[in-house]
Amino acid sequence: MIKLWFFRIPEIVYGEDSLSYLESTRHRRFLIVTDRNIARTDFPDLVMNNLPDASSSMLFSDIGEEPAFDEMTKSIERIREFAPDCIIALGGGSVMDSAKVIAFTYANPARQIYDLTPLEHLGIREKVSIIAIPTTSGTGSECSWAAVVSESDGLTKRKMELASTEILPETAILDPVFVRSLPLKQTVSTAVDAIVHAIEAYTSQWRNPYSDAMAIKALQLITGSIRSVIKDPLNIEFRNNVHIGASMAGSAFSNSQIGLAHAMGHALGSCFRIAHGYAVGLYIPEIIKYNSAAVPDLYREIRNVFPADARKKDLYGTIRYFFEEIGQPLTIGECGIDASAYESKMETLVKLSMESTGSLTNARESDSDSIRSIMLKVRGI
Amino acid sequence: MPIFPSDEWVKEYVAKINTNEKYADAASDWEGDFLFIIEDDSSKKPVASIYLDLYHGKCRGGKFLDKSEGMQAAFSYIGPYRNWIRLIKREIDPIQGVLTGKFKLKGPMMKIMRYTRAAKELVNTANQVETEFK
Ligand SMILES: [Fe+2]
Repeated sequence: MIKLWFFRIPEIVYGEDSLSYLESTRHRRFLIVTDRNIARTDFPDLVMNNLPDASSSMLFSDIGEEPAFDEMTKSIERIREFAPDCIIALGGGSVMDSAKVIAFTYANPARQIYDLTPLEHLGIREKVSIIAIPTTSGTGSECSWAAVVSESDGLTKRKMELASTEILPETAILDPVFVRSLPLKQTVSTAVDAIVHAIEAYTSQWRNPYSDAMAIKALQLITGSIRSVIKDPLNIEFRNNVHIGASMAGSAFSNSQIGLAHAMGHALGSCFRIAHGYAVGLYIPEIIKYNSAAVPDLYREIRNVFPADARKKDLYGTIRYFFEEIGQPLTIGECGIDASAYESKMETLVKLSMESTGSLTNARESDSDSIRSIMLKVRGI
Repeated sequence: MPIFPSDEWVKEYVAKINTNEKYADAASDWEGDFLFIIEDDSSKKPVASIYLDLYHGKCRGGKFLDKSEGMQAAFSYIGPYRNWIRLIKREIDPIQGVLTGKFKLKGPMMKIMRYTRAAKELVNTANQVETEFK
């Protein structure tokens, strides 16, 4: 029997020219959060030109890669003075997660970052709305109530997985204009991230009919179009399919949770410099092998969603074939990580994976031995 | 079969925690005590609690307390009796239980975030005790 559960997603505005939706919002004071790279493009102007008449805006663009809490919130006093009623997140996962953390801190001056949990009412939505405009097709953060924040206690770097339904964006704008010229490497790594979101959501212990529907359609759209995007990057129709699919995969995992690939991928990303999508994509084939005994039928269903010419005997073979074709690394060497450096970090990697909530909702139960054994399989030696 | 909650139940539960390798694996460096608080189904007032002294993957001691004995712990997991029954029968996932408001979890979040697996294994161990309900 289905027990009480939720399915929460933002209002979704999609397709060409969807940015013009901004003109009709009820908000008037906009904080635009973006990163240093996007600040150098015409994207912020594009957004500002679509804001309602008689509105004012402030740009906060001082966000780098894998931001920590202090970096995300360093302008909080200026932001408080400006008093936005809406935060527009214009960027990839780090930017959208930063906007969520800024919204939390803006509404909760006295609280610590660890208080960003679903356990308490935080009064965020009463204070400010979040509109997310992704500029990559993959992280799904525009549809999720989670935020990843880097943290270091001096010894170990961690990726904290924070969550509250109050940081779910009110609106996600999926305008393909922002991803049309996404570079190849980012196109592949973020698409792989989205594929992994869909697979993990579909097999999570918390899977539910709504997340299942989103996960399957997401896989169909992404696997059906990503190879065409790689061949013809400016084709707006293929880009649009991957962009919409990625947000569907985001809404799937946000409501049913992630799995071991994210637990282990976040651990790897804490110890080595690697794109998030490459990190989760690196582990998913071996995790599929590990989980196969627990969810054979679900994996068969997923395999059948891949384009016919990419289907191999099982999902393990299919995903490896597909990843090789689109350029996703399958060993740590291919990710540019030295095997002995990787091995020397093994116990930290296992410990961080065990701490991640993704390892709890994974299709099959895991422990430190099983995680270590999957970790070792991707050494490529 | 011990009745939940009672002295006998807590004794058996502590024994099960101490032989649960999954819990030992997940909580190998955990230090801190835990309080399970059982509330009356209708009044929502605490009627009993179970105190657990947890250290490095083991339970160093457990105590059944009736409502008159107040006890503090670093973490509390709180819910009405009917939800405890469903939790012990594994009809409710301990984390989903918190997210859907069937249970409350109190304590320093910085720590609990890193030990969610340990907390889940701890609660799941209750299912290994053959239990009779009132
Ligand atoms: Fe991801």
